Amino acid sequence: MLRSSLAMLGIVIGVVAIASMGILGNSMTQSISASLSSVGDSVIVTPYAGSGGMGPGGGGGGSASDMYLTDLNYQKIKRAVAPNVAIPIMSTSAHMKVGVGSDDIVASIYGLPTDDTKTLLPDLEAGDYSNGNSGCLVGSTFAKDHNIKVGSRISIGQDGEYGTLRVTGIIKERGMSFDISTDNALVVTKDWFENAFDRSDDELSEVVVKVNDGDTADVKTTIERQLNRNTKDKTVTVTDSKATLATIYETFGTVTTFVTAIGGISMLVAGVSIFNIMMMSVNERIKEIGIMRSIGTQKKEVMSMFIYEAAIIGIAGSAIGGALSLVGGYAISILMLKTTEYLFTLASMMSVVEGVGFGIVICLLCGIYPAWQAANLNPIDALRHE
Amino acid sequence: MEPVIQFKDVVKVYPLRAGDVTALSHISFEVERGEFISIMGPSGSGKSTLLNLMGCLDTPTSGDIFISGIGVRNMSDVELTNLRRDRIGFIFQYFNLFPLLNIVENVSFPQMLKSQKQVDEKKAVEVLRAVQLPDRLFTHTPLELSGGQQQRVAIARALVNDPDILLCDEPTGNLDSKTGASIMELMTDLHRRGSTIIVVTHDPHIAEYTDRTIRIVDGRIAE
Repeated sequence: MLRSSLAMLGIVIGVVAIASMGILGNSMTQSISASLSSVGDSVIVTPYAGSGGMGPGGGGGGSASDMYLTDLNYQKIKRAVAPNVAIPIMSTSAHMKVGVGSDDIVASIYGLPTDDTKTLLPDLEAGDYSNGNSGCLVGSTFAKDHNIKVGSRISIGQDGEYGTLRVTGIIKERGMSFDISTDNALVVTKDWFENAFDRSDDELSEVVVKVNDGDTADVKTTIERQLNRNTKDKTVTVTDSKATLATIYETFGTVTTFVTAIGGISMLVAGVSIFNIMMMSVNERIKEIGIMRSIGTQKKEVMSMFIYEAAIIGIAGSAIGGALSLVGGYAISILMLKTTEYLFTLASMMSVVEGVGFGIVICLLCGIYPAWQAANLNPIDALRHE
Repeated sequence: MEPVIQFKDVVKVYPLRAGDVTALSHISFEVERGEFISIMGPSGSGKSTLLNLMGCLDTPTSGDIFISGIGVRNMSDVELTNLRRDRIGFIFQYFNLFPLLNIVENVSFPQMLKSQKQVDEKKAVEVLRAVQLPDRLFTHTPLELSGGQQQRVAIARALVNDPDILLCDEPTGNLDSKTGASIMELMTDLHRRGSTIIVVTHDPHIAEYTDRTIRIVDGRIAE
């Protein structure tokens, strides 16, 4: 009994390892997917920065003042990607204060054409889009951190030298984005941005193309063909968010598989333990097997007996392991992702099912040889066994 | 009526690395239904081999064996096992009961093998009473019984499927003389009621209970 319990413990640990790792991997993938999938239909065009490279994301565009897209670049992109929408974006970071006597804050500011703001940012948590130059949208994290509500006033500049804006809306949390990161930023009209920071149409930080017609890969190729005719003298860097997402998913999938495989190693060790236990069980019961065979038990009945024994250990151990893996998955999700939103999704639950299934299969496979050996013992020799 | 056991020119050879060993050499004999026979011989004479062949635990190298008229030489393992289950009851020197099952469960075991349906415990109880085991012991396990009681249970287990033959390998070898005598009295009683019983023994006192003795010497039947 103790021996079987210890062997079962190995299966429990193996199932918990596989299922928990699978839950973690799937939860991470789903978490990233939820954050990024809303921008899976975008192509982002930024100025080509050579070997240094400034990628997409748009934050902090003012750090390299000579790295801009021109209005000509924008018009070429707009023509090339039609009928898809090409949105010109300006960005910088600036000091600002919320209300009177508040601390100085540094945050990103994006300038978008009024008509395109709703296209790029379709979801607001509160309020509405600005219909005038003195209004702005703020990101949800920025609003929470600085206790900003619709109607709050923000003065831009260390001394408010760029003007004061009234918050008309709060943007719903977007998490990581390829185009612009709004959670901790302000979004103003392009006209206000140009006036405040003395920028012209030839100083665009990036252009975001929302692809509704066609494939993102094709749009990327079209833009590159138009603007990067000379491979030695590139003008723009074009990022296909869908391709990047696919790479991210593939990477997470590989990581999930890898950590699950590590859990699988513990299961193999448990399987060896089961094999050992079953062989010992057969050896201890040789005489009993001889008695059974002599009074008319068939070989297949003897074999079934030992297979059932292995199956019971496997099913019991895997069931306990499956239950514990939910506890383990819950703990891991809370500790690493700060949420259990993805714990009871189909993908995560399939990890538990796979772990339980693997545990049962390993036990059965490791029980087959001992069972076969028991069934094929010579009854005469078995009866004589001491 | 045909004999319940027929051996016709049976030879059994064990191929060993050191050289083949002929355990039985051209053995021929018959056992009629209802006989009570002992098989005697010195150690190494081939008694156990003969018992194993009669019990269908082994097959002859040559010659023919018929159990209740059925030729066993070319039978498959499944067929031999079925024959053991349905027609032969084994009684061993060391009882060979299942220690974790109680008495009734031990006796019912062969019934369970024969019929995959529910076991008829009434039959098991009836047979236990026939071997004079008191009812109060039915829920006990074998280790809670004396040697004589255990052997009675083993006899009951051998009888539960109404076998054609009872094969006994030194049934009193592990018992004191008084208990051994009581077991032989029981067997005599079973024989009187029609059982065919074959006892392998080296004890001439045991052989006295039987009707006929077959002597084996060096793998041959001694005249």
